Amino acid sequence: MVEQPFIRIQDLTKYYKGSSDPAIKSITLDIFKGEIFGLLGPNGAGKTTTISILCGLFPPTEGMITINGLDIKSDLQGIKRIIGVVPQEVALYPTLTAMENLTFFGNMYNLRGKVLREKIMERLIVFGLERFAKKKVDTFSGGMKRRLNLIAGLLHEPKVLFLDEPTVGIDVQSRIVILDYLKALNKQGTTIIYTSHYMEEAENLCSRVAIIDRGSIISIGNPKELVADHPEFKNLENLFLYLTGKELRD
Amino acid sequence: MFKFLFAVRKEGLLLIRDKAGLAILFLMPSFLIILMSLLQEVGWGSYVKESKVPILFVDNDRDSLSLKIRKGLNDSQFFTIIDSLGSAPLTKESAREAVKRGKYLIGIVIPKGITRSVRTNVRIMVAKTLAGFGLINPVMIKDIPFNAVDTVTIFFDPTIKPSFKNAVLSSIREYNYRNENEMVFRTFNQEMSKQFPMFKPPEINYNKGMEFKEVFPSERTIEKTPNTVQHNVPAWTIFSMFFIVIPLTSSLIQEREGGSLFRLLSLPIPYILVLLAKSAVYLVVCMIQCTLMILAGIYILPLFQVPMLVIGNQFFPLALMAFATSLAALGYGLMIGTLSTTHQQAAGFGSVSIIILAALGGIWVPIYLMPGIMRHIAIYSPFNWAISGFYSVFLRGGSFINILPEFFKLVAFFLGTVLITFVYRKFKSPIKK
Ligand SMILES: Nc1ncnc2c1ncn2[C@@H]1O[C@H](COP(=O)(O)OP(=O)(O)OP(=O)(O)O)[C@@H](O)[C@H]1O
Ligand SMILES: [Mg+2]
Repeated sequence: MVEQPFIRIQDLTKYYKGSSDPAIKSITLDIFKGEIFGLLGPNGAGKTTTISILCGLFPPTEGMITINGLDIKSDLQGIKRIIGVVPQEVALYPTLTAMENLTFFGNMYNLRGKVLREKIMERLIVFGLERFAKKKVDTFSGGMKRRLNLIAGLLHEPKVLFLDEPTVGIDVQSRIVILDYLKALNKQGTTIIYTSHYMEEAENLCSRVAIIDRGSIISIGNPKELVADHPEFKNLENLFLYLTGKELRD
Repeated sequence: MFKFLFAVRKEGLLLIRDKAGLAILFLMPSFLIILMSLLQEVGWGSYVKESKVPILFVDNDRDSLSLKIRKGLNDSQFFTIIDSLGSAPLTKESAREAVKRGKYLIGIVIPKGITRSVRTNVRIMVAKTLAGFGLINPVMIKDIPFNAVDTVTIFFDPTIKPSFKNAVLSSIREYNYRNENEMVFRTFNQEMSKQFPMFKPPEINYNKGMEFKEVFPSERTIEKTPNTVQHNVPAWTIFSMFFIVIPLTSSLIQEREGGSLFRLLSLPIPYILVLLAKSAVYLVVCMIQCTLMILAGIYILPLFQVPMLVIGNQFFPLALMAFATSLAALGYGLMIGTLSTTHQQAAGFGSVSIIILAALGGIWVPIYLMPGIMRHIAIYSPFNWAISGFYSVFLRGGSFINILPEFFKLVAFFLGTVLITFVYRKFKSPIKK
């Protein structure tokens, strides 16, 4: 029996208001349960746009999406309950403490009381933030904010986790903790869709990657196999540069 | 429902952490009330209360009319009578000069012989009346002419308020009438006892005329005249309550511009829930604000020698007015925060529009002192509905029924602004796309 895709994206196109060029055009993509799927692409490729639409932040201009069999047009609330989001920008209240932030976002997923507190503490410990639970977020370093941002997206143990560049601007130690945690989550069955500029990271982490440029998928597959198909490039980064060209993007 | 309460808690926390916002909400208003009351009380007080207004009194009559006027002015406690400048006794000319130079605000000149002329005329009138009864031979008095009566001259400083001028004029007129009345009765009694020796003129206290007493027309009366405090406290309370528009819009826009919007929109809750939670918190803030300002009116103003705010005893209508005003302010804030795209826009438009609406609605200048056209415009300002409601409660001891029109207008304003907000949000997502 052929496995049903967990996330099905068909002909997704998005024109931003007042823009004549599409931010993404005709993206078609199936993602399966238990995958770690990498969306790779230079700046402005359309990664954030794709993730935003998948999370229901705004509707696409064209195309359709189903997640876990739920159509995003008719069942957005159902989808929102099973997804977790870690936005590219730190999405926390700077004047609230780490605990207060996490409590609020947990509450919004119907988590509360002791259960919620335990979930929060458990994750704060994993990410080395337990000492800062009662500190305001605006006193945090960039790396600490990113880790907290991550925790806020996975308190409710979502079936699918969308991460938009979760490892940008953080040190090697934090990066290892985050990637290990994601791998562990994935082992427990969480499907992960993640964007990055770090090819090596993606090569190690992802079961499959899609390379996007100027709003279109230009290559898709298992990173090892992609490199194997073009042995002259040795690694994903070289292949990526070859596919997307060296010119700067906006 | 739980989510809503949790969202409310988050908003509460955000607000408590916003020290500048809290200062705007709670300190500024109290400061404003004290300042405004002090300024206006000082202006008023110098005329009306502590220091009496000196009046130059040139008495060339020295008879019953001038004595009555002098006594009346003296007894009124608003004036001190001045008879001489330096060592020289006052004359009409020196009084005119002193008022002209702005040294005194008012000068009154009672001409020589005025009482005598009036008395003669009264005699003639009484005689003519008695002739009508056949008690005096009409032929005897037929051709007696009335005396020409001289005029009382009053010099006013041109800067004097018309209302104050009128008050002085009508007092003098009143003393004159009293004097004339008394003369009429006396003369009449004298004539009667001449005609009928058995007639015993009654012992009459001529001062027992009509007496006036100022009283609030509410059931449980507070015998306290309205003063600037009764206007200032509700006026600036309403003004400050509307100023929650600034922190409210700022909070709305901050959440929208900052990264948290991305996460908020991905949560399995409608965005409206976030708006409602915010509104609930600011509603409570408004009510607290109103309570504090009224308490400041009662307990803090007297510390500054300003009269105390009298709130009457209609607490339920008062609470309703506070609630409705809060709702109106809230709706206005939600609407501005939603329609404007940047902090600058919201803060700029928000504060300017509040000041304009406040001015139109009779916050700066009470509506009854406004010129005609302004009064017609004023009735469209929510500030006016709010202040009318508070006047009803404070000055007239208004009950629930009395404030209903204002209450419903404010609630309707709230519903209108919320409707605009929701419709706008329905068609335009908070995220740019
Ligand atoms: N709100 C918006 N309004 C108009 N155009 C937008 C908006 N957001 C993004 N774009 C445009 O859409 C295109 C894709 O942007 P997107 O943010 O999805 O890229 P990205 O792949 O996430 O880039 P990066 O790696 O820099 O985060 C870009 O050309 C960008 O300029
Ligand atoms: Mg991006």
